[in-house]
Amino acid sequence: MTISALSFPARLTQMQAVVDGFPADLCTVDVAKNSVELRVESGLYPLGALYGAAYIFIDRCYVLLGRPDAAHLSVSLAWKKGTPDEVALRELAGEFMNELLSCAWRAKISEESRSIIEAVTAQAFAGAMGAPSLDDLEKFDFSDGAFEDPLGIAMSWEDKYGKKKSGAAPSDGATPPSAEAPPPETPGGAKPEAT
Amino acid sequence: MIALRLHRHIYRGASVDEAVKIFTSYGTFERKEEPESWLVEVTTDDPQRERRIAGELANYALGLTVKAGGVDPKATAST
Repeated sequence: MTISALSFPARLTQMQAVVDGFPADLCTVDVAKNSVELRVESGLYPLGALYGAAYIFIDRCYVLLGRPDAAHLSVSLAWKKGTPDEVALRELAGEFMNELLSCAWRAKISEESRSIIEAVTAQAFAGAMGAPSLDDLEKFDFSDGAFEDPLGIAMSWEDKYGKKKSGAAPSDGATPPSAEAPPPETPGGAKPEAT
Repeated sequence: MIALRLHRHIYRGASVDEAVKIFTSYGTFERKEEPESWLVEVTTDDPQRERRIAGELANYALGLTVKAGGVDPKATAST
């Protein structure tokens, strides 16, 4: 006796039956052997997803994975205990395919968000290392040129909205007011008294 | 006798070896290599028991492979 789930015959044997709702070339049920055989495209379902789905079923079934050709993967699910009827085997096949689809989708999401997760993790580890020491700061290379700021976003508030400085001294020779200069006279002509 | 063919692109050789080692007391196991698969021949005195042990062995090898993160692509690059 040989477990030959890795090869799918072109013509089904008498013991094998097509499952309702499944394409005939993708899923067959062998009631005599209490097993379901599935064939999936490796382009649609990566091997990692197949591992994930198969792992969930190894407590209920004997799971045997195969690769009949480069473009396909095969799954043989053999019932462990008891003798299931065709309906139970159909449910098993459907449940497995749903789980496989779920695993494939999760694998795709994980692949797409891998770079984000790595960046966040790297930042978290960098923060956990603590503040840099004085030696680290001393060795830090500040010679890098300033970053480009074509929109002037990096300009400070004082530079942008502060009072404009008078660029050059007045040309008529007048000296700028200083703190030591006498206070201006009041409109009535009287000087304010010191308190 | 049940001949269990475990594809090299799906099952790690080390995982199959470890599984065979675990189950060695439950029957007679002969391990062979084929171009595309690891072949394990399982023999016991009872056909029902043979089926059960072969199935559990396959599950165990699959579990170890999944736990190890799958098959190393370099190991199967030539096949």
